[in-house]
Amino acid sequence: MDFDRWKQKRILVVDDEPGLLQMVVSILNQDGYTQIKTAGTMREALGVCQEWMPELAILDVMLPDGDGFFLFEQIKSFLDIPILFLTARGEDSDRLHGLGLGADDYLVKPFLPKELLLRIGIILRRFYKDEKPVVTLKGSQIDFSRAEVIRGGERIPLTAKEFEILQALYRNAGRIVTIDQLCEAAWGDNPFGYENSLMAHIRRIREKIEEYPSSPVSLLTVRGLGYKLTLADKE
Amino acid sequence: MRNKSILKLVSRFVMIIVCSLLVLFVLNICLFIGVSFQGVASGGGWQVTEELTAELQENGDGTYFVSERGKQILAERDAWAVLVQDGTGDVVWYSENLPAEIPLHYTAAQISADTLGYIEDYPTTTAARENDLLIMGHPKETYWKSMWNTYDLSLIKNLPRNAVMIFLVNLLVVFLIYAFSTSGIVRYIRPLIRGIEALPEERVYVREKGLFTDLAHSVNEASEKLKIQEQELKKKERARANWISGVSHDIRTPLSMVMGYAAQMEDDAELPDEARKRAQMIRLQSVKMKNLVNDLNLASKLEYQMQPLHMERISLAAVVRQTVAEFANLDFEEKYPICFEAKEGSGRGMIRGDKDLLCRAIGNILTNSQVHNPDGCGIMVETDAGDGAFVIRLEDDGIGIGEEELQKLQSTPHYMMSDGGVEEPRHGLGLLIVRQIVAAHGGTVLLDHGRQEEKGGFAVEMHFPIKENDDET
Repeated sequence: MDFDRWKQKRILVVDDEPGLLQMVVSILNQDGYTQIKTAGTMREALGVCQEWMPELAILDVMLPDGDGFFLFEQIKSFLDIPILFLTARGEDSDRLHGLGLGADDYLVKPFLPKELLLRIGIILRRFYKDEKPVVTLKGSQIDFSRAEVIRGGERIPLTAKEFEILQALYRNAGRIVTIDQLCEAAWGDNPFGYENSLMAHIRRIREKIEEYPSSPVSLLTVRGLGYKLTLADKE
Repeated sequence: MRNKSILKLVSRFVMIIVCSLLVLFVLNICLFIGVSFQGVASGGGWQVTEELTAELQENGDGTYFVSERGKQILAERDAWAVLVQDGTGDVVWYSENLPAEIPLHYTAAQISADTLGYIEDYPTTTAARENDLLIMGHPKETYWKSMWNTYDLSLIKNLPRNAVMIFLVNLLVVFLIYAFSTSGIVRYIRPLIRGIEALPEERVYVREKGLFTDLAHSVNEASEKLKIQEQELKKKERARANWISGVSHDIRTPLSMVMGYAAQMEDDAELPDEARKRAQMIRLQSVKMKNLVNDLNLASKLEYQMQPLHMERISLAAVVRQTVAEFANLDFEEKYPICFEAKEGSGRGMIRGDKDLLCRAIGNILTNSQVHNPDGCGIMVETDAGDGAFVIRLEDDGIGIGEEELQKLQSTPHYMMSDGGVEEPRHGLGLLIVRQIVAAHGGTVLLDHGRQEEKGGFAVEMHFPIKENDDET
């Protein structure tokens, strides 16, 4: 299966609480992730990183032999992988610090398993987007490497804006992406006043990817809020 | 306000001065009358002379003798006396102790002068005995005699007016003295008053110099004490907030496991339905605890102003949209269908605000709806602009709230801010935080029933005033 590619990624989970490590592993296992290693200290984590080269790291901030922010920098110095902080430090300043360092996400405990899985999925899709350029939807495929839609054996090119919008939707597949976020993705920092253009672009995208554009199944409207892209292999 | 208190002080002083002047004036008159009455009571020697005439008896042969009582009168006063015969001017009787220098014959002119004044420095008093004249001589320096005891009648007539004039002149002089002496006091008091008035707001220092050194010192000491107490209080508040933050931190990891395993068991198809239902209960309750932990920490920080505000220019509609989308994203069971509408004019409204905190406020209200309606409910979110304010309105069509409960919610302080007993009614932290956050943005929160009242529902409106400078970056 196409989607299983993500489930093969090597994931390192670092936390000083063995019970929590065990639970995260079981959550990941249950969702189909198979390659998981854990570490309880910073030293252990660095050792695993050097030997095993994980492709995603989930870090706690408070570790017995140092803080996770420092570990983050250590790992980033020799491994270019996405990193998610999973921590009990819920302060805004900690969160901003973590994200400011370049973390891909910052999830504060306690969390629901689905929340963690969703975020891991988003991070993997975003970081390793070039590895899996063809995404399968219901009734069509998107080839991001060539900016084309494949439907019924036919290749339909995407315009630059359509491509940006689809990419933003795909990165957050299964989640609502707000109008503001889409406008920002397509038109940059000052996205005001593009709502109508966005609607026009969405209509044209639907004509390309949907079998019945007037009753879409992949690119859904969430009234007032934004749009949501659902993938075939998630169902 | 400062000048008012000084004015009050001055007028009070003047009142006291005028009153005391009046009292003194009256008192002095009384004392004067009293003292002089005492002196006058003895008649200045005149009365005694009158008495002595009665004690002088004629022998029948033109000579006189004085009775024992008369002798006593003279002896008591160490006085001498002569009786001058009418017509001849000769002394027909004299007391035994008559000094040698006293003449024994008097002319009419001498009599007149002696009556008014002195004989050889002896102050004299006289009395008539039939047509003869009794002259009594008192020891030197017993009496002082006014030799010319006449006054202009006009002077006596004008006496009341003159008294008033004198009184007024006195008053003026006294006032001038007062003004001169108090101008210094006022000068010294002014910084003291200023210092005391500023005490509640800031730390004050009054120069410890001049008349009120001690007072200034006390003011400075009070200020210092206040400052220390304020610091102590802040320290305590900080300690409490840190304590709450520590507890909420420590509870997060264990709670993660409760929540995670419960959710896993809930989704485990191999478990019996009953067990999965129980797992769901645990998961729901742990979510409640998660919200509580988050809220508790933030509420204490907001309460003690330890939450830094990151104010920036933000689009209110975008913030609401994002929060609503996140809520919808986490509503895995789709039990809470939510829709959002940016009404005319509010879509591009910009305010200065803290994006994360506003998200939190909106999220709290959404969570509230979720917690109170475990079986699901629809939620409607709107932004609107009008009446000089941006409005975010969130309304659910859930079980709603009773009239009485609504009143309570609107009026009862949360227990974090109430120092009363623990039995009084409380409500969740969720709404407290909403209030705190909106207040930090200068806005207000309104709670109400849903618009279609027969259907119940609960509505929260947040009003943010539109400021002129919201258009600036």
